[in-house]
Amino acid sequence: MAPVIDIKNITKEFKVLNRREGLAGSIKDLFSRDYKIVKAVDNITMSIGQGEIVGYLGPNGAGKSTTIKMMTGVLEPTSGEILVNGKLPYRNRSKNAQNIGVVFGQRSQLWWALPLVESFKLLKDIYQISDEQYDGMMKLYQSLVDIEPLLHKPVRQMSLGQRTLSDILAAFLHDPKIVFLDEPTIGLDVSMKAKIRTLIHALNKEKNTTVILTTHDMGDVDALCRRIVIIDKGRMLYDNDISHLKGFFGSYRTLKIRVDGDLSKESAVIAKEFPEFKVSADDEWISLLVDEEKSTIMDVFTGLQKKRRISDMQLEEISTEDVIRKIYEEGVK
Amino acid sequence: MKLKKYISLTRAGILESLQFRLSMLVLCAGNLLYLIVIYFLWKAIYASSGQDSVNGMTFHDTLIYLVLATSLFNFMEMYTVWQMGRGIQSGSIVLELLKPMQYKTYMFWSYSGNFVVNFFTTFLPTFIVVCIVTKGAVPLGMNLLYFVIAVVMAVIINYNIDFFVGTICMYTESIWGINIMKQVIVLLLSGATIPIAFFPETIRRIVYYLPFQSIYNAPLTILLNGDPDIKDVAVTLGTQLIWVVVTMVISKLFWKISLPQITVNGG
Repeated sequence: MAPVIDIKNITKEFKVLNRREGLAGSIKDLFSRDYKIVKAVDNITMSIGQGEIVGYLGPNGAGKSTTIKMMTGVLEPTSGEILVNGKLPYRNRSKNAQNIGVVFGQRSQLWWALPLVESFKLLKDIYQISDEQYDGMMKLYQSLVDIEPLLHKPVRQMSLGQRTLSDILAAFLHDPKIVFLDEPTIGLDVSMKAKIRTLIHALNKEKNTTVILTTHDMGDVDALCRRIVIIDKGRMLYDNDISHLKGFFGSYRTLKIRVDGDLSKESAVIAKEFPEFKVSADDEWISLLVDEEKSTIMDVFTGLQKKRRISDMQLEEISTEDVIRKIYEEGVK
Repeated sequence: MKLKKYISLTRAGILESLQFRLSMLVLCAGNLLYLIVIYFLWKAIYASSGQDSVNGMTFHDTLIYLVLATSLFNFMEMYTVWQMGRGIQSGSIVLELLKPMQYKTYMFWSYSGNFVVNFFTTFLPTFIVVCIVTKGAVPLGMNLLYFVIAVVMAVIINYNIDFFVGTICMYTESIWGINIMKQVIVLLLSGATIPIAFFPETIRRIVYYLPFQSIYNAPLTILLNGDPDIKDVAVTLGTQLIWVVVTMVISKLFWKISLPQITVNGG
């Protein structure tokens, strides 16, 4: 099957004026032609199929939004090829818009002063959605979330969570092939996050919509994505299933133990016994990050037990968050 | 079916305006207040000139012209430059760019509801008051039909100029100065603040070759002439039509060239 998004070696450069400091510098800047080229996206290649949910991750300023803006057709790549639904998105932006939906977590496309249902009706006409399709979609929404109380509420009176939920529903309304969700759970409470994840998951299942999700919340990633793409400084670092990710830096697990006495002193001793692992201590636990390719958890535990009495222990799988943090901080080996 | 999406946008604009009752009241009151200022200003001008008629216009003529120009301004001003500038600065323009419609078309129809509201809140009341107070100084005949046609074209020319100026924000990322400059130029050269008859001969001749006079001067001249010579009307409307086409082509082209320039701020 042909991919819905096909990107080959795209690069996006921005021309930025080198600014000087101070008042005198600012005045000089008025006549300056001293530009530098910033590569926001550098040689990225990927291909995304129908119905996938792809987590698009990277630290702040990594170039995620720029890539998304190229996929939606707002920006034109400096070089490289990009095809969305088989077309050049920046050449056919208005037509392409018919097949995509967008949610930017910090902006709303809804009509601020009007009740939600008016926004929906308006989108229905703008996207030329047929009555049956619209009714079908509303029924589907009804079955997934309790939208009845939201429909007659002006958007400006909604809480952030309600507004985000409404924005997501609005983005799916015209049954697009692809939906771009740019930090949809930003600033939301735990229960709203869970609600929104369930909703996205259900809509993806029901409509087989491709979802590109950028987020900084690893909970979103764990709940929704099978595949993740990580970029940093415009370069692609990782593009694979999430299950491979945990083995990406070797297989790590955290062993936590509690012993009698001063934990920080004890942890220094342990650090000498196991120089190959990272040891740290907080008020309750001493943690060892164990690389299981070097030795098994059981060996380490037995080694620890020989020298001291362990009063309690815990074993933690390394979380996606830990791995991603490691990638952001250290890059790829 | 195709028309429906535009009408829907107009409808939403009307609904949105109606949500803010107080703002409509203030708009009405502000309009009135400005009219009072104009009255006293021009009264003083005529008093100091010591003549009944200046440049072929009596105080009465001038006042009717300016009152109608003001209400026409309130009706036609679209704040497109602000909207575009803010969208470009904050980056929220992305959402509008991603509607399945040309940006320019979308922006126009998004605003169009306000035309309807402004027509009923500012233009129509002023027009009726002027008709009653002046006891028939505004002729009611075929000129009304020509006037409507002229206003439609004026709206389009005005929007195209606004859109052109708004596009400049792509390069400057700042709007304030540009918008103020635009407003001064348009209001002065279109005859919205001072009737063009008051301009010195040479400047008046130049103004007739610019698009601005097609925005306010053209429809008002048509409206206030009760016994129109069909040839004059044809010339005025024809000139407007030419400017509609020219400004449309230029603003569209400029937008097309400028769009790749966009960086989209934030997030």
